[in-house]
Amino acid sequence: MPRERYRDRDENLYATVDAYHLVENLEQCLQCGKCAGICPVANLSPSYNPRQIISDVLSGSTSRWLKSEEIWRCFWCAGCYTLCPVDIHFPLLMMQLRYLAVASLHGLKYIAPFKRFALRAREDGLTFAPGSAKGRERIMGIRGGIGLTPWPEVSEKAREEYRALFDMTGSTEYLDRIREEEDQPLELTYLEGRITGA
Amino acid sequence: MPRQRVVNPEEKFPTVPGTVFLFRSCTGSLEYPGTENAVKETLASLGIHALMDPDQTCCSGYLLTCSAHKPEVSLAITARNLSLVEKKDLDTYTFCNGCYGYLSELSHIMMHNPAYLQMANDLIARWGYRYEGKTRIYHVQEMWYRLRETIGQKVVRPLAGLKVGVHYGCHYLAKQYGILDDGGYPTFHEEIVEILGGTPVFYKERQLCCGYSVGRGFTHREETVQPHLFKKLTSARDAGVELITTVCPGCNVALDREQPNLGKRFGTVFKIPVIDLSQLIALAMGMPLQKLGFEANTIPLTGVLKKLGL
Amino acid sequence: MPENTKTALVIGGGPAGMEAALRIAQAGFHAVLVEKEPELGGTLRDLHSSFPRWENPRELIDHRIGLLTKSRRVTIRTQTAVMSSVRQAKGFRVSLKSLGNGGREGYEDELDVDAVVLATGFELMDASVYGEYGHGIYPGVMTSLEFEGQLKTWAQRAGDIAVDAPHGVALIKCVGSRDRSKGYPYCSKICCMYTAKQAGLVKDLFPDTRVYVFYMDYRASGKEYEEFVRQVIEEKHVRYIRGRPAKVLPEDGRLLVRAEDTLMGIPVEVAVDMVVLASAIVPRPGTLLLAEMFGARTDEYGFIENEPFEPARSSERVFYAGGCGFAIETAGALNQGAAAAAGVTALFNEER
Repeated sequence: MPRERYRDRDENLYATVDAYHLVENLEQCLQCGKCAGICPVANLSPSYNPRQIISDVLSGSTSRWLKSEEIWRCFWCAGCYTLCPVDIHFPLLMMQLRYLAVASLHGLKYIAPFKRFALRAREDGLTFAPGSAKGRERIMGIRGGIGLTPWPEVSEKAREEYRALFDMTGSTEYLDRIREEEDQPLELTYLEGRITGA
Repeated sequence: MPRQRVVNPEEKFPTVPGTVFLFRSCTGSLEYPGTENAVKETLASLGIHALMDPDQTCCSGYLLTCSAHKPEVSLAITARNLSLVEKKDLDTYTFCNGCYGYLSELSHIMMHNPAYLQMANDLIARWGYRYEGKTRIYHVQEMWYRLRETIGQKVVRPLAGLKVGVHYGCHYLAKQYGILDDGGYPTFHEEIVEILGGTPVFYKERQLCCGYSVGRGFTHREETVQPHLFKKLTSARDAGVELITTVCPGCNVALDREQPNLGKRFGTVFKIPVIDLSQLIALAMGMPLQKLGFEANTIPLTGVLKKLGL
Repeated sequence: MPENTKTALVIGGGPAGMEAALRIAQAGFHAVLVEKEPELGGTLRDLHSSFPRWENPRELIDHRIGLLTKSRRVTIRTQTAVMSSVRQAKGFRVSLKSLGNGGREGYEDELDVDAVVLATGFELMDASVYGEYGHGIYPGVMTSLEFEGQLKTWAQRAGDIAVDAPHGVALIKCVGSRDRSKGYPYCSKICCMYTAKQAGLVKDLFPDTRVYVFYMDYRASGKEYEEFVRQVIEEKHVRYIRGRPAKVLPEDGRLLVRAEDTLMGIPVEVAVDMVVLASAIVPRPGTLLLAEMFGARTDEYGFIENEPFEPARSSERVFYAGGCGFAIETAGALNQGAAAAAGVTALFNEER
């Protein structure tokens, strides 16, 4: 591996990476490896290692991670946080790195699939409502059959306010931007699990 | 001195509430409405009225995980939803680990960062809402454990030694402090299973995450999430698990809906049904089958129901 | 006891207490050595060997007991506890109770003393708090002190070919130490050394057994300490893996240790039969009560603390030594016992 020049690394970690002040105890990291030991992703992907990411970010090398695929792999299971002897909330670090990555136009392809979920959620006040009429009918059938209202009751007021919060915070614009920049259509090869009739 | 982590259920709930605010879970109400029913019924039979509010929106946690909107939105949405509960002077009960995790984490952030609380309250003030951090956030699994003896007394369909592999999920145990068990080796769900007459199975990958947060769309799904779920379900199957329970509709989706895909990819058929712990409790307590909504499940419950004589 | 000879009460009969009592007596004063167990020796009695010279702790105990019993100025009170104390003008009136001494159980008596030395030692933290390691759940998981007992048992049966040698043993350091979340933030100082000792002893007993030590660091700062650890790694062939394990899981009758090999950046799973946890060192629970009784100062963890500029003294007429002040090795406990005795004798000489 080529030698890296440390003098070109970012300074002031807390102003750049931890802008939301959610992982202010990163320097307490003992590099013990409990996080990597339990991490389900680290146990599957050779290049993903939460402990190494913390160490690298502390030394100021964030650009490597902003451009990476790795930061998009965290499950947010918080197994790391549960075991960490100094309670570093690693998923919140990943979250912030992801926002930084998107701001520098990396990783847009990873959130592109969620654009439609997010825009639909913005309309519904609910997440994961199926887009197809068939999907919606199926749910209404099951709910009606077990004695619930065919569709979960979310008031018009709730939906308006939810939408307004998206708009006011600039999230709608953020989502639209995803549409305009590197939008790479993805082949999602999985199939929706079938809901059986029995 | 080490901070207190695990609390006694009687300490955490010195009295049993008469009414609670039941926080709607999007995934729960859409994918597994039977869980919503089971939760309401079980609470009712324990003398607790569950109030739901149409003005409540999604907790927005899933979108936060995917970075599909800005954190400010989630903070404001959390403040808005919780202020609804505070207006009714109730405590917040969720039936989804996801909702629990996000509501707890985001409210914690607001309570410890006055600037964020101010920002959230400024955004929601225009509709007359104000979040003060008074409502406490719980998950119904805590109430099931608190009232496990009462539940035991009301069991009319004991589970006939059914081999149940419990899945705790991640976000409740990740809270670490002030919860009913320790994430290192939790056992409180197994205790409930025993009370219901089932046989808990401590399968090797019992504590593995379900991978739901990315299970539905990240590009590395095939590389990471499917092999991961394969590991978990193989471990359950090898230990002879007949039924898996969850306390999160998200986990339920991951473990239930992926099984046919795993079958196609890895050539192994699992066929282990996955239901919410609340549904198992309600089933044991005699809730009519048609209200439990098992038709929403991808892996059918027929085998299990047959074993229980239903 | 002659009326005008000053007397010190030494509470705790481990190496620190024995040393303090001995030195006080050698200086011409009286010492009453109180120990709640039937025998003197403290934690040393539980140990199979010692670092850095692989010596038998029993020899040290026997040597010290010999000197103490010979001394006419030491009164040894085993199976005795200190129940209460009333501070007087220049000393304390203490009430002692027999805990079972062939008919004298429950017998209480009072004693006037002119100074106190607290030497109550340490114990290991309850490792069952670490559910992920399975102490109290899986039979093969034990603390280092429990494992020391196992080593003694194995050594006694060394000639017996029926001994079931484990195929693999994993020793995990920093269980509860250097842990702000579930344990204590401090380093328990001696575990790196005693873990190396234990690992080496397993290899001596069973050369074919695989022995792993899971570590974050190894701290060997003392005379001959570094050489000791290197000997264990290089000559006794113990494998050191850098990484605090995340979990211990049972599988097919064995125990799997899941960790990350941080030097390679690879998650690993190691199958062993026994897991030894170097649990954090904490003061014994009685220490806090005694500190309150005698007005000694303690820190937030219950360890005895010294007065500013007075390394062996905690408060007026109250001295301390050994594990009750913090984690310490035998040599350190002996030195501190001597220092506490020096404090006592200086006080007694001043008041002569």
